[in-house]
Amino acid sequence: MTEVTLYHWEPNANSGKPMLALMEKGVPFASHYIDMLQFDQHKPEYLAVNPQGTIPAMTHGSRVLTESTAIMEYVNAAFPGPELMPADAQDRWRVRWWMKFMDQWLGPSFSMIGWSVFVGPRVRERDPEELAAAIERIPLPERRRAWKKAISGDFSAEEMAESRRRVALGVAKLEEELGKRDYVGSDQYSLADINIFNSTYSLPLSQPDLASKEKTPNIMRWLKRVYEREAVGKTWAMGKTDMAARYSLVMEGII
Amino acid sequence: MGPVLYHGEPNGASLTVLAALAEIGLAIPCQPIDLLAGARHALPGIAEPLAIDLGIEGEGPVLVIGGEAMTESVFLAQYLDELAGGCGLQPDDAYAHWEMLMWCRQITERLSPAAALLGNLANSQAAIAAIPADELAALTGSIVSDDLRARWQALHDGAVDAAQVADSEAKVDQAVGRCEDKLADGREFLMGAFSIADLVTYSWLAGMELIRPESFAAAPLTTAWLARVAARPCVVSALALAKTAEPLRSWAPGPEINRWG
Repeated sequence: MTEVTLYHWEPNANSGKPMLALMEKGVPFASHYIDMLQFDQHKPEYLAVNPQGTIPAMTHGSRVLTESTAIMEYVNAAFPGPELMPADAQDRWRVRWWMKFMDQWLGPSFSMIGWSVFVGPRVRERDPEELAAAIERIPLPERRRAWKKAISGDFSAEEMAESRRRVALGVAKLEEELGKRDYVGSDQYSLADINIFNSTYSLPLSQPDLASKEKTPNIMRWLKRVYEREAVGKTWAMGKTDMAARYSLVMEGII
Repeated sequence: MGPVLYHGEPNGASLTVLAALAEIGLAIPCQPIDLLAGARHALPGIAEPLAIDLGIEGEGPVLVIGGEAMTESVFLAQYLDELAGGCGLQPDDAYAHWEMLMWCRQITERLSPAAALLGNLANSQAAIAAIPADELAALTGSIVSDDLRARWQALHDGAVDAAQVADSEAKVDQAVGRCEDKLADGREFLMGAFSIADLVTYSWLAGMELIRPESFAAAPLTTAWLARVAARPCVVSALALAKTAEPLRSWAPGPEINRWG
């Protein structure tokens, strides 16, 4: 079999998606941990793999793949193992719709909140000159602007309020969806579950006002079911920061 | 109630889906609606409205199947292709398919919002601004999505700043540049064989030739490719559904410009 290498950060958000998809398919892969908080993704050795400097990226033989959701679709199509897309065309449409909703509408809001409370403060502890140099190395202008904002904590009250509005609305809609179907978009565990789980697994801990046994029973039932998957446990074991500790805390709260 | 495709004039997202439907040849009834009258937010027979209420594409077409509203033109084109058992609009090879998805995502995330903004400013803003206040309030009141409603309001109020326009023009130029690079090896269509990538790119770029010709001045390969796509029978059929003389000048509020990152 041609070798697969995955360049990823923590089993969380975008990096977590292809990690979990590969685990679910049973595809062996070499793991390259890219420490986002040390800006590994903008260093020459990584830019040689993905010149855009975004994570995750995956190589399969001579092929280089980027963009987490598209990588997952590739992994599902290119390798044998359990099917991670439903067979019905309308279910497939719904799975894609939810992934776009997460990637383009809800995810950036989760990310803005996450960066303002977690990434920004951690990175700000470092030498300002070193940070300025690190920002200058970012290849994509949009990402450069985004990092500048995150590092300087430069989100306006209006932007943060809009992100909080989107997260609250998105969580409410997810609760409704999981009341209609066993999984996101269909009655089968799919790429949409992997996608959305990676951004919502810690909600009961981080936003108990939005997600809890009382407020969102469908989400909690779904989270528990996904948490218990063998592939999730194996993927989380690859984490290197204290984020991993949060998983067991959430699990304790769910059971 | 059987399936219905509600669509605007054949341009932008509506053109992609109408052409995909013509390509696969399934007999799904098409119902033209007046997007600028807010008709997309008052459709009958919808039990599951989520994809309209929180859709990202703006005023795109809506396919209603079994009471469920389905939106997002690329996914509707994929759906139609798959419903027909795969009629060649998507590559079979996993890597070629990944390349097509990546291309389509570049187009829908970067070109579509930019083209929609420029197209609306050139062709629809006057009509939206002329809607009397009480009618506008009723129209925007029927829109569930707060951010789509805000885009309607911004066009009505003329609250679009010069930086947004310049950013949109740059994104149209970049999209043309990407097409030119892709076609440089002499390929006939963007992914080699005709695919959803051609439909979605043509649908947002063809109208830009009319209002921003300078983007195409040094892009002979792209201009020739646009002509090849325009000559495809499915695109000819879709454009023939137009109710106006110049459908490529027909615009309604589109996708949001990326707000973060």
